[in-house]
Amino acid sequence: MIPEIGYFSLTLAMVLSVLLCIFPLWGAHTGNLRLMRAAPSLAIGQFAFVLISFAALIYASLTDDFTVSYVAYHSSSTLPWYYKITSTWGGHEGAILLWLVMQAGWTAVVAARSKSLPWVLRARVLGVLGFLGVGFMMYTLLLSSPFERLLPYFPVEGRDLNPLLQDPGMIIHPPLLYMGYVGLSVAFSFAIAALLTGKLDNTWAKWSRPWTMTAWGFLSLGITIGSWWAYAELGWGGWWFWDPVENASLMPWLVATALLHSLSVTEKRGIFKSWTVLLAIAAFSLSLLGTFIVRSGIIVSVHAFATDPDRGLFILAFLGIVVGGGLALYALRVSQVHSEGRYKFVSREVALWLNNIFLVVATLIVLLGTLLPMVHKEMGLGSISIGEPFFNKMFAILLVPFAILMGIGPFLRWKQNKWAFLQNKIAVGVLASVAITCVWLFSAYDEVTPLTLLATTLGVWVAISTLIDIVTKAAVHGTLKEGLKRLGVSYWAMVLGHIGMAFVIAGVALTSAYSVERDVSMKQGDTVQLNQYNYRFEGVKTIRGPNYSGHAGVVTVLKNDDVVTRLYAEKRKYDIGMQFMTEAAIDAGFTRDLYLALGEQLSQGAWSLRIYHKPFVRWLWIGGVLISLAGFMILFDKRYRTSAKTARKAAAESVL
Amino acid sequence: MNRKLLAIAPLLAFAFICIFLYQGLFANPREIQTGRIGHEMPAFTLPDLMQDNKQWTNEALKGEVYLLNVWGTWCPTCLAELGYLTKLREQGVKIIGLYYVQGYDADFDGPFDMQALRTEVQDMLERAGNPYQFNILDLHRTLSLDLGVSGAPETFLIDKNGTILLHHTGDINPRVWRSKFAPMMQELK
Repeated sequence: MIPEIGYFSLTLAMVLSVLLCIFPLWGAHTGNLRLMRAAPSLAIGQFAFVLISFAALIYASLTDDFTVSYVAYHSSSTLPWYYKITSTWGGHEGAILLWLVMQAGWTAVVAARSKSLPWVLRARVLGVLGFLGVGFMMYTLLLSSPFERLLPYFPVEGRDLNPLLQDPGMIIHPPLLYMGYVGLSVAFSFAIAALLTGKLDNTWAKWSRPWTMTAWGFLSLGITIGSWWAYAELGWGGWWFWDPVENASLMPWLVATALLHSLSVTEKRGIFKSWTVLLAIAAFSLSLLGTFIVRSGIIVSVHAFATDPDRGLFILAFLGIVVGGGLALYALRVSQVHSEGRYKFVSREVALWLNNIFLVVATLIVLLGTLLPMVHKEMGLGSISIGEPFFNKMFAILLVPFAILMGIGPFLRWKQNKWAFLQNKIAVGVLASVAITCVWLFSAYDEVTPLTLLATTLGVWVAISTLIDIVTKAAVHGTLKEGLKRLGVSYWAMVLGHIGMAFVIAGVALTSAYSVERDVSMKQGDTVQLNQYNYRFEGVKTIRGPNYSGHAGVVTVLKNDDVVTRLYAEKRKYDIGMQFMTEAAIDAGFTRDLYLALGEQLSQGAWSLRIYHKPFVRWLWIGGVLISLAGFMILFDKRYRTSAKTARKAAAESVL
Repeated sequence: MNRKLLAIAPLLAFAFICIFLYQGLFANPREIQTGRIGHEMPAFTLPDLMQDNKQWTNEALKGEVYLLNVWGTWCPTCLAELGYLTKLREQGVKIIGLYYVQGYDADFDGPFDMQALRTEVQDMLERAGNPYQFNILDLHRTLSLDLGVSGAPETFLIDKNGTILLHHTGDINPRVWRSKFAPMMQELK
């Protein structure tokens, strides 16, 4: 009964989204205010019904209703309740339903928070969002319903959630990522609405900026958590694999990063308009392309989902309509857009333009690397594979000018700068960062390669130059304390984002250079030394969890004969499906992670163990979290929050 | 004109990508293209897994129809197919093992522990059945590379003249044997 309500409710939601797509767009076209005014309530109604539908699936999963095919395949009665909830997005159908919740949620929030927009624009934004909703709901209802029943013969026990997904990281990773992907559809809708209206001015940029920033924040956090999950769960200490599915999330992130820098230029200076619109279209297009790649099984990856050409065909057709339509509209309208505003070479405009160039080149590298093997094969040239070495090399080369620019960029003012004013800051920054890095690395490590030195210096440089910028900007207002208060929210967001990036750069450089690992065979009482730490193997004990059993290797970690920690590296065997999972034990620290994975049992009571010492690996995720906070900070920016009163006033004016 | 061209460029690029995505949709990504079918076995000289001072070459293997089965003790699917392969041996199919050593790198791992591997192989074959006439040790994975092996288990069917007729990835079970190998074996008789 409840699953049927879920399906029915989703059908109602789709009816509403069809109306949401037609009414406001038609109303805006003909100037019919009554039709346009229907949009917000339709959007909120659609969200309510999608929520009911999602709640129905969660209910089915919590009550172990194995007559529902999706629940039977992705859950089991022994699964802890929180994993029963997360199992609703552990498979394809449920994941798409979660996507729908996000899509409808964003649409509803846009409807509620866009009162200050002129009706013509507001209606068009919601109409485009409605169109996207129609596409995804049609897909769910026709091709991938999670409410299918297995009647009359249904299993008494479910197949359980993939053990890899039974992890706290997996509880939040997909929702965050989807929030980001779908959030970019808001920026997309603003761009399309602006193109339809024919008014590509800086107010458009101002309105779409907070949405883009928030979506980008979610995307950053989603990618960060995903990387952390891979590190903790896959058992071999890696944190990024250049897997097609990871690339699919990196591409929209890179373009969205370019977009929010470009939006600031369009907002403040009224230039780069057509470019910004193109980025907004591209960011969401790449989210959709990513979904297509993941969901169609077109590319084999560790994340591979079931292959189904029908589904792939639908998503491709939808992709073609949305992206093709968007780009066609862009081609029609953009030649009428003219940007005014002059600037010299040494200016913030040019710095941000270069930022965009680097980010777009990076995106193209990832896109090519992901699609080229497929294109190559389709052209009958045989199978090739493009992997880590290619991406690492390309990104290492790009990073150098990018990071240098990232330090200088904030120093620059709009329009033009005198080189003489910059000289001192740059000189101080370079000297300080080189000095700090040299002292740091040469005192801590015996061997420092030029490449490690360069990469770490770049990270330090980004941090130092940002600090210099804060101090000089604050000093303008008399005392430092007073000055710090006067700096705006979006300035602090920039600071957070750049400092976060500095952490990531330094973290990648150091952990790539100084990670050590050892494969050892140990008996009870054996001790192995790795760097300054001694690992004493205390033996193996049996463990029993709610839906698995297994062994835990107990290892005491000592440093100078003091006990640092005791690690339990588990090897689990899940009851249903009999899958083995390595649950690595990690002692996390600010400057180093100790990482331990239990291997096979060898002869005579010995076990194989893999021990990693990973310096500064945590900085990657610290950086990632800082970057995403930068995105969320915009929510506190007063400039983008209009009081209800002014909103009503603006709405009243726009009616006229 | 230039400006218009620039405006339409993204659309064209996207259309181009779509064509390939469409084609890719109907291709089986797991299908491995082996350029080797119909060609002769690549030339090699490799040691026997179990005996010292015994070398095998491509020439020495000519004259009989045989299966070349790429496997390793580290590979659970290989373990699973040993039983069925042993049955095939009992039916008179000649199976030669190509032992695929995973992850060994002389630069890092020092001298190879031959004795340990032999013990391990012997243990496993005693437990699960031994389908092999003999095993060739491909320590540096050179022959595997020449054959286009992407993992284990993989099996090649080779005729009397040393020509590769079939390349199968994944395990061999009764179903695969009936549909893929048996018809060809019939023809060769």
